[in-house]
Amino acid sequence: MLTRIAGGHVIDPANRRDGVGDIWIRDQRIVDPPGDGARPDATYDVAGKIVLAGAIDIHSHIAGSHVNAARLLLPESHAGAEVSCVPPSFATGCRYAAMGYTLVVEPAVAPTYATQAHLELADIPIIDKATLAVLGNDDFLLDLLRRRESAAAVRDYVAWTLATARSLGIKVINAGGAAALKANVRAFSLDDLVPYYGVSSRAIVEALQHAVHELGVPHPLHVHCNNLGLAGNVDTALATIAAAEGLPLHLAHLQFYGYGKDGPRGFSSAAAPLAEAVNGARNVTIDVGQVMFGPTVTISSDVLRQFNARHGANPRKWLIQDGDGNGGGVVPYRYRADDFYNAVQWAAGLELFLLIGDPAQVFFTTDHPNGAPFTSYPDLFALLMDRDLREQWIATSPPEAMAMTTLKSIRREYSLSEIATMTRAAPARLLGVRDRGHLGGGARADIAIYSDDRDRAKMFRAAHLVFKDGEPVVRDGEIVRIRWGRALDVRPDHDGAIARRMNDYCGERYGLASSFMRVPDSALPRPDPFECVPCVQ
Amino acid sequence: MTPERRRDAPLEGGAVGHAWIDGNPVALDAAAAEAARLLRAARLPVIAGLGTDIAGARAAIALAQQLGGVVDHMHSDALLRDLAVMREAGAIMTTPNEARLRADTVLAIGSALQLWPELQQNLQRPPPAPEIGSERGERRVFGLCAPRGQTAAAGSRAIGRGLDELPALLAGLRARVAGRPVHSAPALRRSLDALAADLQAARFGIAVWWSAELDALAIEMLCALVDDLNARTRFAGLAVAPPDNAAGVVQVCGWTTGFPPRTSFGRGRAEHDPWRHDARRLIASREADCVLWISAYEAAAPGPTGGLPLIALTGADRRPTGARVVIQVGRPGLDHDAVEHVPMTGTLAAVAARAPRDTVSVAQAIARIASCLPGTPAC
Repeated sequence: MLTRIAGGHVIDPANRRDGVGDIWIRDQRIVDPPGDGARPDATYDVAGKIVLAGAIDIHSHIAGSHVNAARLLLPESHAGAEVSCVPPSFATGCRYAAMGYTLVVEPAVAPTYATQAHLELADIPIIDKATLAVLGNDDFLLDLLRRRESAAAVRDYVAWTLATARSLGIKVINAGGAAALKANVRAFSLDDLVPYYGVSSRAIVEALQHAVHELGVPHPLHVHCNNLGLAGNVDTALATIAAAEGLPLHLAHLQFYGYGKDGPRGFSSAAAPLAEAVNGARNVTIDVGQVMFGPTVTISSDVLRQFNARHGANPRKWLIQDGDGNGGGVVPYRYRADDFYNAVQWAAGLELFLLIGDPAQVFFTTDHPNGAPFTSYPDLFALLMDRDLREQWIATSPPEAMAMTTLKSIRREYSLSEIATMTRAAPARLLGVRDRGHLGGGARADIAIYSDDRDRAKMFRAAHLVFKDGEPVVRDGEIVRIRWGRALDVRPDHDGAIARRMNDYCGERYGLASSFMRVPDSALPRPDPFECVPCVQ
Repeated sequence: MTPERRRDAPLEGGAVGHAWIDGNPVALDAAAAEAARLLRAARLPVIAGLGTDIAGARAAIALAQQLGGVVDHMHSDALLRDLAVMREAGAIMTTPNEARLRADTVLAIGSALQLWPELQQNLQRPPPAPEIGSERGERRVFGLCAPRGQTAAAGSRAIGRGLDELPALLAGLRARVAGRPVHSAPALRRSLDALAADLQAARFGIAVWWSAELDALAIEMLCALVDDLNARTRFAGLAVAPPDNAAGVVQVCGWTTGFPPRTSFGRGRAEHDPWRHDARRLIASREADCVLWISAYEAAAPGPTGGLPLIALTGADRRPTGARVVIQVGRPGLDHDAVEHVPMTGTLAAVAARAPRDTVSVAQAIARIASCLPGTPAC
């Protein structure tokens, strides 16, 4: 089947393309123009439309036991006509596809809960998915570090975890903080030591960062720093950036670490110096975790943070899981435009977007649903692309909050090409998926076509056309075809001895064979559920 | 051994031996067609029991959605009582295995531990987690309202005779933990004070209960006590999971509908109501007009169905009486590979068949029924 997407404004920064032209699809792939004699089986006239690759979300909590606990905690959110801040799996895929997304990464799957996460992902239609496996508060790793075992031992364990949990990468969440909470520690920073194990948060991050890098896993270690949400925590983020020492590192939802202690309330935006540090550290990528106003729910495996925040729940209900490894917590929250602290958070996120110069270094997230549900993305695109719109929002924000940020002074507006880099080309590179995020020959035919509208929120809310693997799936924001994507994973080489060691360990630790963590293809409801992403040699 | 055989592999549907209509053995295809006919004729079919693995629950929910029916689990009363506390207040919870590894103090409510001998045995031994290090010592178990003759393990202490005393004791305990006065007999106050001090001295304590024998308010008070104890030390709740993969079915229901069981598709989209969509009530009031009963683990009986057409998918050789259609299904994890909730770790896991037999799974049986309904591919 040969398809021609004719006459649209093609914006494909990965291939330095920005102009009117055609895109050709043969079956599931984009192909080079087949020459004058070619007769397409189908032609879509998209003159005047914007043609982009399918968007990629590198950090969105869409599956797993904590996300599902949030669904069950908030029955009222599913009851009305509005989209829930934690929609069920089916609606999640449909809503993402309608906005032109074709790949979404669930960034926090505890290896013991990997089977549930993959079952949920398998029920998300249309888009492809991936998970990051969470390490760094688990007894096995902490014990390896306590015993000062070799870097090779850490690598084998990381590789075994990726293979068992079927993940695309590794995330560390408040390294050591959850383990410390189990010993009744209530605050934990980069150089604090985990009780009993005697290892610092810094040492855990460094060990995992090296292991991931040396295994050739394309996505660098994905780090959720210590001290999330606290005034003055910019120091933690700056120290974590410095600790990367030139090796690749990804810092998640950096907005939540962009806080100083200035001003009469001891809470201010420190996004400007943080953005400067990111601009100076080419090995570091970040995603923002933008706050948008409205009701949502915070879902995090940073159990220490959630434990400390539980009594601020709005509405007043919450769940803390004091579980294996990280555990986690679900705390509903409402970000209010007229709240000083929330307004500073909102501004700090925008400052990071606008002050980090390279759109390939800053990634578009709200840490769904922690800063805002992913359904608020269109409004955020509009804020980045339209200075006047930002002015309007600033004008209605608490002036004392705006005085604590530099947002008002920033004139930058994102271009469509920069948006395409930030949400397409750069995430594909960051995840090591070479056939995505661009529209060149050989790419997977994941394409999002939008009606060019001055109202950018309207434009991005409902794509004109979306193709997934060459099939039309969305027309004018409506789903026209349900299909099922796959989950991406990596399978780095490792020494087989780790499997025997893990089996013995699981017998002692869980009373079960290590296979209880394994996600076999046969556990999932559709054939061929995984796609292997090659590691870098 | 790992599960490699796909559970949705094609089946020989013509063979006789595992399906009955009105008590007479028939081919699986005939039973499926008759079940589909009954379900299609119904205005509000209820899919109840739901004692099945993840694939079975997923298929059952999809079928309910297709039919505009209701899904409920046989242990929803207990499940929803725990969930009600989460949905109205707050809870700090842990897993049985974390409790086994680390808890130095156990507050056992009612007969929670007696109901789960494996956990009870584990909790009678000292906590084995290495990371609690030099603090490791004997585990202390306190009973609260354990039934007469069933007080907790040797070396432990118990307060309260029966569960009817629980609300007052919890109120007293919360007050004493918070340093507030209580008005009670001196002997009881001394017991409460001693227990409050013991709980506060825990390094990591757990309160374990079995929600089938408590009401939601008692569970809420217990969760609030646990929360209060966390002001100074670490403490967590542990709700014993009901059988029949109830905790697993809740998860599937959550990601497919957003809601736990007692969810209806009768008005075109998922609606949850613990009272309105209670299968027993729907059957008794005859709001439902057809019952699909699923009990793959045990062959639990569906309870009175008041003459409504009954289709039963059951797991053992015993067949429910009065069913129009019976399909005998395999027992998940025993007869066939399955994904199900593992109580000790509190996770879903792929489990290989312990004694593989050539049987029909619930998911396969439902797929067969659905294939005879309009809107799904032909048989």
